Amino acid sequence: MDELRSLYRHRQLIAALTARDLKARYRGSILGFFWSLANPLLLLGVYTLVFTRFFPQQVVTPYPLFLFAGILPWTFFSAAVLESTVSISGNAGLIKKVMFPAEALPLVVVLSHLVHFALAIPILLVATLIFMLLGKVTIGVTILLVPVIMLLQTVFVAGVAMTVSSASVLFRDLRDIITNLMQLGFFITPIIYLIDRIDSRPLRALLRLNPMTPFVIAYQHILFFGSLPSLSDTLLMIAYAFVSIATGFFVFDRLRDTLAEAI
Amino acid sequence: MSDPSITVSHLSKNYRLLGTRSQFATLKSALLKRDLKLAPEAGVPALKDISFAVDRGEAFGIVGRNGSGKSTMLKIISGILKPTTGIVSVQGRIAALIELGAGFHPEITGRENVYINGIMLGLTRREIDARFDRIVEFAGIGDFLDQPVKTYSSGMYVRLGFAVAVHVDPDILLIDEVLSVGDEEFSQKCIAKIQEMKYRGVTLIFVTHQLEQVRKLCDRALWLDHGEAAAIGDPARVVDGYLQLVSGTQAAPPKPEEPKVEAAKSDEAPEEERWGSGEVILRRVALTDDKGRELVALGAGTPVTIEMDVDVRAPQTDFVFGIGIYHADGTCVYGTNTELEGLAPQKLDANGRVRFVMPSLDLVAGSYRVDAAVHTRNGRAFDYRRGCIRFIVGSRVHDTGVYRPKHSWKFDGGIDLVATDTLTRNVPASIAEALRETEKKKK
Repeated sequence: MDELRSLYRHRQLIAALTARDLKARYRGSILGFFWSLANPLLLLGVYTLVFTRFFPQQVVTPYPLFLFAGILPWTFFSAAVLESTVSISGNAGLIKKVMFPAEALPLVVVLSHLVHFALAIPILLVATLIFMLLGKVTIGVTILLVPVIMLLQTVFVAGVAMTVSSASVLFRDLRDIITNLMQLGFFITPIIYLIDRIDSRPLRALLRLNPMTPFVIAYQHILFFGSLPSLSDTLLMIAYAFVSIATGFFVFDRLRDTLAEAI
Repeated sequence: MSDPSITVSHLSKNYRLLGTRSQFATLKSALLKRDLKLAPEAGVPALKDISFAVDRGEAFGIVGRNGSGKSTMLKIISGILKPTTGIVSVQGRIAALIELGAGFHPEITGRENVYINGIMLGLTRREIDARFDRIVEFAGIGDFLDQPVKTYSSGMYVRLGFAVAVHVDPDILLIDEVLSVGDEEFSQKCIAKIQEMKYRGVTLIFVTHQLEQVRKLCDRALWLDHGEAAAIGDPARVVDGYLQLVSGTQAAPPKPEEPKVEAAKSDEAPEEERWGSGEVILRRVALTDDKGRELVALGAGTPVTIEMDVDVRAPQTDFVFGIGIYHADGTCVYGTNTELEGLAPQKLDANGRVRFVMPSLDLVAGSYRVDAAVHTRNGRAFDYRRGCIRFIVGSRVHDTGVYRPKHSWKFDGGIDLVATDTLTRNVPASIAEALRETEKKKK
């Protein structure tokens, strides 16, 4: 639990670095944080087009809103994990030249992507409101659960980020592996389809092994269907979050002393 | 020695070689065993069994060639790297100037970077608020404060980095070769700031190639050679040993029994310290009066000559004679050499005598020592004799300081004071004797 203590001790630093990250990213760009939305919106547009026009066999309506609920948490996960692979090696100066708590770096990446995610939620709500006015959907009170799921997901993502950030200092090709896994992961997570519509039982079980599955399903439940996530999904989320952060701390702790040398 | 701020004992550091195939092994071993250290022999040794202690408020220099382990040493002290074996213990807050502005982000403003850098160095936001104006003033970057750091010149970048680091109020300041950056003016400012910090009791560790700085600023120095401690001790002596090596002279030192590693602090040692390459020797150095008689105790204002009998073993064309007079507490009273006074070397091809004549030596009572040296113009010693003469200045008056200008008191008007005999009251018998003798001579 040294990591936890260290992270608490450096909370001001982490907050300042996250703010710096966000500021630096959008300074000099006109559209500011909307760029962070460009990717999910593009995905949204493409898949909406494909599944409502090219192969009009919509699983759910309104399909764009369903997609939106899944794409946002997925983008948070994949962008944060991908970027965390270079969070340490990209800050070699800090690790080698300053007394710096290395564990802050992946966490800063996760937090700044969490901010993007959180800023996209109002846009999702506006979209939901528009569909509601068109009479196509209703908003449930379950939407109030979003912060809870976000917290669980953040813990999960932070654990993965800590693992990959430290490990990729030693395995430079980890980033390439993860880039490809993320492409695959997008399709084996029920984002563009409903897991219940899959007939093959073993395939469904396989999809459930993907740790992002219960999170995405939970978001779809509370944002789109207006229902509570199932008990099994809730337990799975808690379990994945716990295992992930424990693994993250474990791996980071073992690699920490070699980071400054191996970088 | 009683109050060490940094203690390094039997420190060794091996860098592991990261081969492409060994990576899997290391990650696996990292996850299975508790640490990633391979067997100590399976790496490149960077430091070998180094031990030393640095007292609170001491300035400690580390010199050595590139790759000798200086920066590794600093990084281990600062906690950036972990020692392979051995123990490093540090008391107090450290600020490490290993690379100035290392934590700066180019896209955000100087102001924001000051805050982030300060937090990285362990300050809270409020503490930075309190120091902010001083930091900005010291850095002297003016209107650029609210510009992104990427627009800064390298000098401004470094100035801001230095300004933040020294205003952290560390107990220990580690400085790695950073004073050589920036212009002359800023460099002077940095040195003044460092001296101020030293005065306030901050422990300083320098790594530098600017040997003059080590000589001037440091109380002790460590010379690392291929990861081993080649010498620890008096900075002038350590620097000189290093210079000898760098200039490639392999001549034997004048005293073969001279210890290579000297662990004890040297400045209070009563014995003479001596080093040099030995082509020219100061066979005898003595303090004499105007009749050529050797003196050990003298009164203030006595005419005094420092005599150096010089033996030439190999003729030289590049040579400088120098003397220094120090108070027992280490304060330099006066130092000069022939180079400083514009005396160009003409020949040094046979034995001879050099005399440094002072018509009157106006010092207050106390013990003093004299350093005498003959060296090349770039500072490589042929023979350097530290503390080769020790002498006592006696006085009937216990005034303070080191220098006693010739003076007298005059009183006018309604003020009158009368002289009393201070001699018998204040001065030990032996010195009083010497004083009376000099006074008799004057009459």
